[in-house]
Amino acid sequence: MDSLRIPILKIGDVLIASIQVALHDASAVQFKDDLLQKIHDTKARGVIVDLTALDVVDSFIGRLIADIAAMAGLMGTRVVLTGLQPAVAITLVELGLELPRVLTALNLEKGLAMMQSLTEESGDDAS
Amino acid sequence: MTQAKAAVIRSDLDIVIARTLARDTAKALGFGAIDQARIATAVSELARNIFLYAGTGNITVREVERHGRKGIEIVCEDQGPGIADIDLVMQDGYSTSRGMGMGLPGAKRLMDDFDIYSKENEGTTIICRKWRS
Ligand SMILES: Nc1ncnc2c1ncn2[C@@H]1O[C@H](COP(=O)(O)OP(=O)(O)OP(=O)(O)O)[C@@H](O)[C@H]1O
Ligand SMILES: [Mg+2]
Repeated sequence: MDSLRIPILKIGDVLIASIQVALHDASAVQFKDDLLQKIHDTKARGVIVDLTALDVVDSFIGRLIADIAAMAGLMGTRVVLTGLQPAVAITLVELGLELPRVLTALNLEKGLAMMQSLTEESGDDAS
Repeated sequence: MTQAKAAVIRSDLDIVIARTLARDTAKALGFGAIDQARIATAVSELARNIFLYAGTGNITVREVERHGRKGIEIVCEDQGPGIADIDLVMQDGYSTSRGMGMGLPGAKRLMDDFDIYSKENEGTTIICRKWRS
């Protein structure tokens, strides 16, 4: 079976990916690879990953998200997670995963606003 | 009592099937959203361990009752390599696969009862339960 590809949209210099299906491991890894490649190709300043539709984030997906944030960070790109369901956030902490270095926002709109202020703050003017 | 339902674990797709089965059963038994997420996440961890370390196995989900309290019981069985030192694998951070070593101790924290029976070269059975409040 082919792994489902998650579409990654580019708006200005921000990439937005919204995960709308239950991720199995292969499609999650595919998503990480696609996203990092797209960050490299577009030189995006920020990435927003919307997780509103995810009802389970286990250690595998949790680590993948932490890896994405760390690797994007190395390329100078900020990552903001949006839409984490309360039950998912509670479960992640109880599981033992707190994603300390990952920025989060309540929803896509707030995530975009956060990204805006982050990229302004860091003083990169649009060229 | 509803009938037990089982999922066979052979691929990473079956991990999603098993956790969805657990969540749907938990929901039908009246567990709230947070407990549903806890139960589904624990099953996701245990199913992935079967897939990674034993290759194949089974997960059975059923309703249980004790002292008038209802709950969900999840039995994970495999005939894989088994676990030599159970105390060791229950420690946060212990992994033989460069994982985070979070799956077993994390699943235990998410459930109420959690027991491992394992024999080297014969396999592993994990029985866990969550009780409805
Ligand atoms: N069903 C099993 N059969 C044999 N060994 C197992 C089984 N489940 C777990 N183990 C062993 O226990 C160790 C700890 O498992 P645990 O799920 O806690 O962490 P992990 O799978 O290594 O990493 P993570 O789950 O955080 O990605 C594994 O590395 C493996 O050696
Ligand atoms: Mg594991």
